This record gives sequence, structure tokens and C-alpha cells, in this order.
Amino acid sequence: MKRWLRQHRYALQVAVRRLLSQPFSSLANVLVIALTLSVPIMGASILQSAEPVAREMPVSPEITLFMNPEADRQTTQETAEKIRGEHADEVSSVRVVAREQALDTLKSHPNWGDALAALPGNPLPDSIVITLNEHTNLAGHADELASQWQQWPNVDLVQHDSAWVQRLEAILQFIRIGLALLAAGVVLVVLATIFNTVRLQALTQREEIAVARLVGATESFVRRPFLYLGALTGLISALAAVGLARLALTPLNAALDRLASTYGTQLQLVLPDPASLALTAIVVSILAAFSARWSVTRNTRF
Amino acid sequence: MGAIMSPMAGCCETRGHDIIRARLVFKAAVLNTPPPLARPHMAVLLWALILSAIMIEFQHVFKSYGRARNILSDINFRIGAGEFVFVSGPSGAGKSTLLKLVGGLEPPSRGAISVNGHRIDEMPTRARPYLRRAVGVTLHDTHLLYDRSAIENVLLPLKVIGLEQSVAWTRARAALDKVGLAGKDDFNPVEMSGGEQQRLAIARAIVNRPAILIADEPTANLDHETARRIMEVFRDFNRVGVTLLIASHDKSLMAHYAARTLHIDNGRFTDVQGVAV
Repeated sequence: MKRWLRQHRYALQVAVRRLLSQPFSSLANVLVIALTLSVPIMGASILQSAEPVAREMPVSPEITLFMNPEADRQTTQETAEKIRGEHADEVSSVRVVAREQALDTLKSHPNWGDALAALPGNPLPDSIVITLNEHTNLAGHADELASQWQQWPNVDLVQHDSAWVQRLEAILQFIRIGLALLAAGVVLVVLATIFNTVRLQALTQREEIAVARLVGATESFVRRPFLYLGALTGLISALAAVGLARLALTPLNAALDRLASTYGTQLQLVLPDPASLALTAIVVSILAAFSARWSVTRNTRF
Repeated sequence: MGAIMSPMAGCCETRGHDIIRARLVFKAAVLNTPPPLARPHMAVLLWALILSAIMIEFQHVFKSYGRARNILSDINFRIGAGEFVFVSGPSGAGKSTLLKLVGGLEPPSRGAISVNGHRIDEMPTRARPYLRRAVGVTLHDTHLLYDRSAIENVLLPLKVIGLEQSVAWTRARAALDKVGLAGKDDFNPVEMSGGEQQRLAIARAIVNRPAILIADEPTANLDHETARRIMEVFRDFNRVGVTLLIASHDKSLMAHYAARTLHIDNGRFTDVQGVAV
């Protein structure tokens, strides 16, 4: 066990020595990987900050049914009654808004008053405002009801407010898929960079590898320092990527804050939680070690 | 098929040297532990058995690279424990290839090779490094690492086996001392002369206490005096029981040490001085 530990300690020492022996080259590799990694980390920050906004956004449980302008009040009342009867469990209230009442409300608005006064008659239809009960998938359920009611006679238009929340959800889904593709691209960049770094290192250390084999080194002994080299480069790069993402978020948050304040709200981009970042760093290290092993096996055949 | 050689054949040491060698080979064979034998005649019998042990054996060995002609063709010989053997022949005769086969650095194309009791040709590739630890090798090019000091070069084989640091340093210093490089621990190999570099390579080859030491042209490009000193180092190791196999084409050197000589020409054994093959 002690012997095994000593060999691993030696491999780690050799890996650190090789990293430090070419500081500029090592730094360039770390920078390339760190910059590439920081992009999905920032993407994850944006996604993570936007998701609660979408989730907590109150989906208005209200649906407005606009009747045909030709439909009379009686028909509107009957439609409201039908909704109360057929969907008693799903709706909490059904309110009929008469066209006159709607026009009066509009006229009370200073910007609209003059324009509406110029109209010869009342162009507005009667409408029914339905408040839905809470539902696990309120937006989807509202959609279902809306499309059902849209088919009813004398109903001109059914409007509800969940559309834009769904749009936001769709955008987030798009970002999520984009992020997954980006992560796959980043994995390829990490693999390729480490592969090439280790290939060059293996070529530089050709003589040392030959001597080690000459004096009885096993292939594990020869490859181990390269595995550590890959894993260390991956780990340092991942940590540097987190640092870079954090640096980049500062000016972004300042700008976002100014933007959000114009909407009277507050929005902050935050890095993923430390556990996720640590997991990312570990995964990157393992990937880098695998790439290093692949490279050293290919490039130092005995 | 070569005849079984007496390990003493071709050697010119005194009876005293034989006894020293016998004792050391015995010690090496039982991992440096004193003989647990109460009766002296049993010990003598065991020593005799160890001395007659075959350290290296080639049976119908062929070596070629790809479809090219055979570098070595139908090579047969045996070398006993503690023997001092030269491999001679012109450049390109196959001397280096022969040594590489003995060192387990390359497998044979055909035939059977036994080294230190292990069949190299049947050995899986991953097991060969363990055999190489029992065979000290110095090649024509010393293969020293110029990015580290002399002692760090000697320490490498000990790092490979994961020896404790303090023990490793003591053994590396002792190895440097044995080859006459005491006090040159921190020298970089580039600061050393050709002879010193060769001795450093020998120190690295013997630091793991191998049973066999093989050297490819260790005295090439060295002046006569330096070459003689290098050979003295080898002979000292042979005196303590290490089996020596040295490739050389320096006839005066071979004549001076009057050791058994295997002669290779064009991949075949053409002559073995003093012994019929």
C-alpha cells in the first residue's frame, strides 16, 4: 500500500514538475479550456436565474370570452350559465361584462376617452370573464378550456394570459437544449486540448519514457504522470473558468440591474451552487484524465 | 544447440573469488538472507547447484522486423549464473538485438528464451517490466536524462519500484560510489566526461541489484585508459556474482579479460572462443 502511494506521489510530483517546466504553454492550455468552460457556466447561470422567474410568474387564472358583436345579452348570459353548469369544478367565478360597461371603463381612461367619443356606436362585444380554480398545470388546462370554448357558437375570441409564460418557458427550453449542445462542444474542446497537450508532452518526454521502460517501469508507471497532468490541467481550468464566469457576471449584473429597474423589478444572475460547480470540476478532471490516457497510450507505444 | 556451460569456464579468477561469488549468488538467490543450513556440506551442495544454474538460455531463436531478413538466425547458447561473457562481431551483426532480447526489451520472432528462470517468449507483455528489473542494461547510447542531476538519474529505477525515499537515496549514493562517482551526486550528466557518463549509466543499471548486467559497447569512443577503468567496474560486479554479458568489437579488451566470447556475424553464431556451440 505504501509502495503504491509512493508511486502515485511520484507521478503527481512529475506531473506538477512538467506543468511548471513549461509555464507559458501550460497557462495557454488552461486559458483555452477555462474560457471555453466559462461559456456554459455562464449559460447555466442565466438559465438558473431565469427559471424561477418563469416558475413563480403568476399565471393569471382568468379567461376572457369575447362574444360575437351580433350576439344579444340573453345569449351571453346563457353561455355564462353553460360554463357554470359544465365546468362547476374548474371555475371559481363567471362574470358577465356588458359591452356598455366595457365602453364606460375604456372611456374613463384619459388616453382613450377622446378617441372613443368620436365613434358612432359601441364597437365592443359582450364578454364573460372566467376565473379558474388552481390546477397543477394551470397554463395547459387554461389552453384546453380556451380551445374548447372557442368552438362554441356565438363565441368570437377566447383570450387568456398564459401565452407569454408559455413563450418564456419555450425560450428557456430552447436555451436548455442550446446549453446541452454547447456542453457537448465544450467536452470535445477539453478532450482535444488535453489530448494534444499530452501528445506534445509525451513527445518531449520520449527519452525519459524510454529510460523508465529500460529500468523496468510498467506501462502504468509511464502513463500515470500524464493522467495526473491531464486531471490537474482539467481541475485548474475548471476552477479558472468559475473565476472567469464570476468576474464576467459582475458587469453583467450591473447592466441587468439597470434594465430590471426600468421594469420596476430586480434580477440578478448568480453562479450555479458550489456543489454543482465542484461536480463540474470533478467531471472535467475525469474527462481530462481519460483524454490524457487515450493520448499517452496512442503516442507512447512500446 | 549449445552445450551447457560451466559458470567458471573462461574465467581466470582465483579460488577465493569463486568462493566470494558463490556466497553472493547464493545470497542474491535467497533474497539476501543468510543460509539457514546447519550442515556445511549441504550449503556447499546448494552453492554448487546455484552456480550451475542457467541464467540465460537461447534455443533456436530467430529475430526479424516485419518481412525483412532475419537479424538473428537460429541462435543457441547457455550462460550460467555468474559468468562473464563477451558478444563480439562486426557492426550490424546483431549484437545489440541479442542484448535487447536478453533484456526483455524486445520479444523474439521465434524460439525460446529463458532469463533468470523465466521464459521471455511466453511471458505476457505486461509482465516483462518485472523481468527487466532483474536485468541491468546499459545501451550504446547511455540514455541519461540531462534535465536532472546524476543521482536523480540513478534514483529512477528505485522510483519505479516505489522504494522508500531515504533507502533509495542511500542505495543510489552507494551505486555512485561503486562506479567511482562518489561526490558527483549533483553534477548534471552534461558536465561529465564520456567515461563518467558511461559509469553513471552503469550505476543506474546496478542500483536495483540485478542478477544480470548487459552492456552494449560500453567502451566505444572511450580512450584506452577510461575503457580499462569501465571494464574494471564491470569485473568488480562480476566478482560479486553478477552475470555479465557485454557486446563489444574491441578484440584487445576481450583478450585482456579472456572471458568467454560469443561471436556473431550476419545474424549467426560463427565462433565461440574456447567453447563449442
